[in-house]
Amino acid sequence: MDLDKYRILFVEEATEHLSEMSSALLDLEKDSSNSEAIDRIFRMAHGIKGMAASLEYGSISEVSHHLEDRMSLIRDGGKLGSGEEVALLFRGLEALEAMVAIVRESGGPPPPDFPAAIAFVAASQALPSSASSQAPKKKVLIR
Amino acid sequence: MTRILVADDASFMRQMIREIVEDEGYEVCGEASDGIEAVELFKELQPDICTMDIVMPRRSGIDAVRAVVELDPSARIVMCSALGQETLVAEAMQAGAKDFIVKPFKPDSVLATLQRVLDKED
Repeated sequence: MDLDKYRILFVEEATEHLSEMSSALLDLEKDSSNSEAIDRIFRMAHGIKGMAASLEYGSISEVSHHLEDRMSLIRDGGKLGSGEEVALLFRGLEALEAMVAIVRESGGPPPPDFPAAIAFVAASQALPSSASSQAPKKKVLIR
Repeated sequence: MTRILVADDASFMRQMIREIVEDEGYEVCGEASDGIEAVELFKELQPDICTMDIVMPRRSGIDAVRAVVELDPSARIVMCSALGQETLVAEAMQAGAKDFIVKPFKPDSVLATLQRVLDKED
């Protein structure tokens, strides 16, 4: 596998995905039950996770996996739980943006212990989704 | 030569599958980036086999499987899934997909799955 080629493709597509995620998050912030925005954020996180896992960018795939799982719970519940939850989603977005910037600038993977990623995962685990109290909690795979 | 249609919204993933299958002598006859395009291209190109991502915009991979199988009940479709999507994979198989591959793709496993599906139907 030509890693350079896939790294360049990853940076291009992940950057587009993050920009779309950002605009969907703004839509969701205005209307907490905007199902189209919820679905778009889910798809963008899912897409980034798949690409990052293929390149073994563990910290990026872990953050996107947590975001995807949370969006899935939000979708099941039909709306965002709280203002805190939207702040958490923005935090996840910012962690991903920072890590994709590292890949873009350094040509290598982000560090496995990237502080913003660790902080986001911890904050995500500490904040139950409104839907998760009704639905059985999904096991989150840490890679 | 086996003709394959690759449906995935990420060109990264389409490129990865293309590289795996072309090395094995398959011809990628088309690439679709959403579920609607996948159904249209399947109709137009009549590929021997198709890889279909589950999560795609406009029309999900599962809906696309339903539409393709309605047009061609013998269609060979292999779902592309990720860890944690077992329920969706089961739904896709129920809808008529023949098998599935899991991201991140391992070339040997992708090729073995495609070959298994091609052999079964021949």
